[in-house]
Amino acid sequence: MSTTARKNAATPAPEVGSETRLELYRLQLELRYCEKRAYDLFLQNLIKGTSHLSLGQEAIAAGFGVAMRPDDYTFCTYRGHAHTLARGASMTGVLGELMGRQCGLLGGKGGSMHLTDVAHGVMGSYAIIGAHLPIAAGAAWSAQYRGTQQAAVCFFGDGTTNIGAFHEALNFSVVWKLPVVYVCENNLYMEYTPISSVTAVEHPAADRASAYGLPSIVVDGNDADAVYLEASRALAKARAGGGPTLIEAMTYRHSGHSRADPGKYRPPGELDAWLKRDPVPFYRQRLIEHGVDERTLKSMEDEAMGKVEQATANAKASALPSVDDIEKNLWSDGGVAWRN
Amino acid sequence: MPQLGETVAEGVVTRWYKQVGDKVAADEMLFDVETDKVSTEIPAPVSGVLTEILVPEGATAKVGVRLAVISEGKGEAGSIKPAAAAPAAAASTVSAERAAVSAARGVDSVEGVRLSPAVRRLFAEHQLTPVDVRGSGRDGRITRDDVIAFVAARGVSVPRATTAPVGDVRQKLNAVRKRTADHMLQTWRNVPHVIQAVEVDYHRIEQARREHKLTYLPFIAYATAIALQRFPLLNASFEGEDLVVHGRVNIGIAVDLNFEGLLVPVVKDVPGKPLLQLAREMNDLAQRARARQLKPDEVKQGTYTLSNSGVYGTLFTGALINEPQVAILSTDSVRKKPVVIEGPDGDSIAVRPVGVLAQSFDHRAIDGAYSGAFLRELKTILETNDWTQALTA
Amino acid sequence: MAELTYRDAVAAGIAQEMERDQNVVFLGEDVAHAGGVFKATVGLIERFGPLRVRDCPISEQAIIGAAMGAAMTGLRPIAEIMFSDFFAVCWDMIANEIAKARYMTNGQMAMPLVIRTANGGGSRFGAQHSQSVENWAMMIPGLKVVAPAFPADVKGLLAAAVRDPDPVIFFEQKSLYSLKGEVPDGEYVDELGKAKVLRHGKDCTIVALAAMVHRALEAAEVLEREHGISCTVVDVRSLVPLDTQTILSEVAKTGRLVTVEENPRLCGWGAEIASIVADECFWELDGPIIRITTPHVPLPSADLLEDHTMPSAERIVRELRAKLD
Repeated sequence: MSTTARKNAATPAPEVGSETRLELYRLQLELRYCEKRAYDLFLQNLIKGTSHLSLGQEAIAAGFGVAMRPDDYTFCTYRGHAHTLARGASMTGVLGELMGRQCGLLGGKGGSMHLTDVAHGVMGSYAIIGAHLPIAAGAAWSAQYRGTQQAAVCFFGDGTTNIGAFHEALNFSVVWKLPVVYVCENNLYMEYTPISSVTAVEHPAADRASAYGLPSIVVDGNDADAVYLEASRALAKARAGGGPTLIEAMTYRHSGHSRADPGKYRPPGELDAWLKRDPVPFYRQRLIEHGVDERTLKSMEDEAMGKVEQATANAKASALPSVDDIEKNLWSDGGVAWRN
Repeated sequence: MPQLGETVAEGVVTRWYKQVGDKVAADEMLFDVETDKVSTEIPAPVSGVLTEILVPEGATAKVGVRLAVISEGKGEAGSIKPAAAAPAAAASTVSAERAAVSAARGVDSVEGVRLSPAVRRLFAEHQLTPVDVRGSGRDGRITRDDVIAFVAARGVSVPRATTAPVGDVRQKLNAVRKRTADHMLQTWRNVPHVIQAVEVDYHRIEQARREHKLTYLPFIAYATAIALQRFPLLNASFEGEDLVVHGRVNIGIAVDLNFEGLLVPVVKDVPGKPLLQLAREMNDLAQRARARQLKPDEVKQGTYTLSNSGVYGTLFTGALINEPQVAILSTDSVRKKPVVIEGPDGDSIAVRPVGVLAQSFDHRAIDGAYSGAFLRELKTILETNDWTQALTA
Repeated sequence: MAELTYRDAVAAGIAQEMERDQNVVFLGEDVAHAGGVFKATVGLIERFGPLRVRDCPISEQAIIGAAMGAAMTGLRPIAEIMFSDFFAVCWDMIANEIAKARYMTNGQMAMPLVIRTANGGGSRFGAQHSQSVENWAMMIPGLKVVAPAFPADVKGLLAAAVRDPDPVIFFEQKSLYSLKGEVPDGEYVDELGKAKVLRHGKDCTIVALAAMVHRALEAAEVLEREHGISCTVVDVRSLVPLDTQTILSEVAKTGRLVTVEENPRLCGWGAEIASIVADECFWELDGPIIRITTPHVPLPSADLLEDHTMPSAERIVRELRAKLD
């Protein structure tokens, strides 16, 4: 089962059903609009600190979001707003957390880089590069041990493939045949540096797969159908006891690494070329080709926008956290005491 | 004259090591002092020239009296006539504090006396100074156990100089003692004393006072003030043949000065003072009394007196009235006792903190019934007042 | 009661908990088929099978990361890090991830795991296999830290650690593995956050941990018998949660605090206790606080050098004779 990068053809993939397609589009819309809203709120200084936007990479989160079971586990990075929303976490909770409000998923305690929603299977967003790969393996081990056929999906960037934890996690997962899917979102840049200049191989994830006895898989990360199909295959394999999968999804991020980064290190024309392959308008076009009418599409877009507006209003109306929360929830008893 | 221990009022200069006109270096031995407790060398506090000796060898001087003058200024070297000592020049007298520390140095070791936190705290609690306690620690250090042992022993015998003579010792009464003796004798002769007592159950006070770490005394003072307002004849003084019933209630608190006399600082206008404030004021006055830092008007204008023997565990004390007042209340020890509680279903036994309050009153001013009624009122206030409320006022 | 070695008490504690709760699993390097490099986990795979007792590759980050992932999804893993020095290899997982997950997620993430490790010197393993690093864990908010000195405490505190819903770092002292002691039979669970007073004295209060407890007791015996100095000895056992009340009350009784720490001087666990005592027990102190630690150097390997570097009973006796009244 090895595939090379798919061309950006508007050829419909036969295995994706029409309902699924609508779901994929709806999700991509929400992810896009919400992330754009986060960007706007940042400019308005309502979101502080730093923010890592995944504009342009929605197809990956959406493709997996639709393919996964509700009780599967997601592990993502600090660039994880979309992955969190894709599992059904509340938009109010996400925007609220970015704005440091009480309604935030973490009550303002974690922030943008640590979005977590255990109830929807989002088992943390991780700020230390590579840390969550072994952790995802552990969640997969737990599922395997308990015999539930749950799977863990772990999203990370191209830069992660060079850190130790990546290699440990992959070896470990293969040896224990764990039901975990590792998804490398190759957006061509490791923070400010082109990934090619710091990596020994061309495809930072797919070209390492064989080191762990895994097939090399590269997918067009801007084609939600392609992602969805690859995801479904990998999840099915995991549930059947076939062990882990490593997928490299080619994509591009529209904004800089973080808010602080205007992305000037990119060669001229590169961004424009990728903007032409923006996954969201691309998918819209695909739906049209599949006979979905303009009215339906528009109403989906309005509905997604409406959700974002509502969530924004909710988050803005939410109170700031109480300073009493500082000394809460270090321990399972809700307290912080280290002594008697 | 340095303060060589709290209980000493005067000393004798037994020897001068320097003569007028001599150059003196700081910390060089300057003179010897002898008291009935200790004999010690006192070093010069500053460098300079000894320009004046005011108390010659063999003479006695009271604590705080100037003994000599050392000029630090650019005085003429060598020939300084005592009469020419210029008071305007930079001069120092031997300060009490420095001398006390020096005296302590002289007692046990050459190094400075280093007091650990525990020792310092105990000293403060028991009004002790380094000279009072002998150190058994390394290099003569005063240890915590030394102080604890000292305090425990003090309860048994009067703290005195370490050289205890074998035969009889004739002691002249010091000035404070003499004054006290005269006053007591006069009171005994003039005032027909009657002693009357009640037993008080302090359990309600107990609950309230533990939280604020207070003693019983402020509560008693607080309640006494209220009771005196209802029985004003006890808040009175004799002036000649006339009984002056006072408008203000100013309560004096008798403070023992380390077994060497009493002072009675007065808390003015007790009624209406919030309880915590009253406690603070009483505490402050007592501390300053022991340190001899009271202002003159703080020992005047008392209208009633409290005498607290309870710290020593006494059962009952018939105190001598503080003339010209007409009454004094002795507060004796509070201890847990079984008491009978009468209830709707019969009697039961409870363990309660109980103590005696004994009033000595002047029978010229009032009779037993009046005093008895006052005591009943006082007891009732102490036993039934809302003390929690009083503490938050 | 049975007499067990410290190492057997480890296996006994793990077995007790695995027996009781199906969700308790155990992973580490050479822990299953080999029974552990220190033979502290012998018999477990035979008893509980290869799905519950698992050998791992040499991948500390993966081992600890997997423990974290399992703990957050319903299991109660015990992970072994062979030598506590290797915490440095996976410190991100312990300090940044495990310790902070619950707090950052405002209580969403559960983390009921135990990381047990062989800590400390005395075995001539050299500087990188002999460190005492309880303080590394003590100073990270979100980690509980335990270091038993006796076999009974090993079993009881390990059981308590497994049952604790929060992450516990369990420091076994490797030079104590052969130590024998009475261990209660049957189900035995001790309590985290409780120090033990092993000896009562009046001249000073010695607070010690793990291997140093035995040296402190030995020194106290010599001091009493030959020099008339009587010492209280407190076995701290649990650094987080810390039994501050016992320590403060025992120091108040004698007025002197002495810590005996196997770690090098700077920022050892005793420094924190000294600071707490200086703050909350200041007016009871009758003399300076004394810390007896390894000097601030890595541990040398030659036996003569190592023995001289770590605090010995003889050094404790010498220092206390010199510094107490």
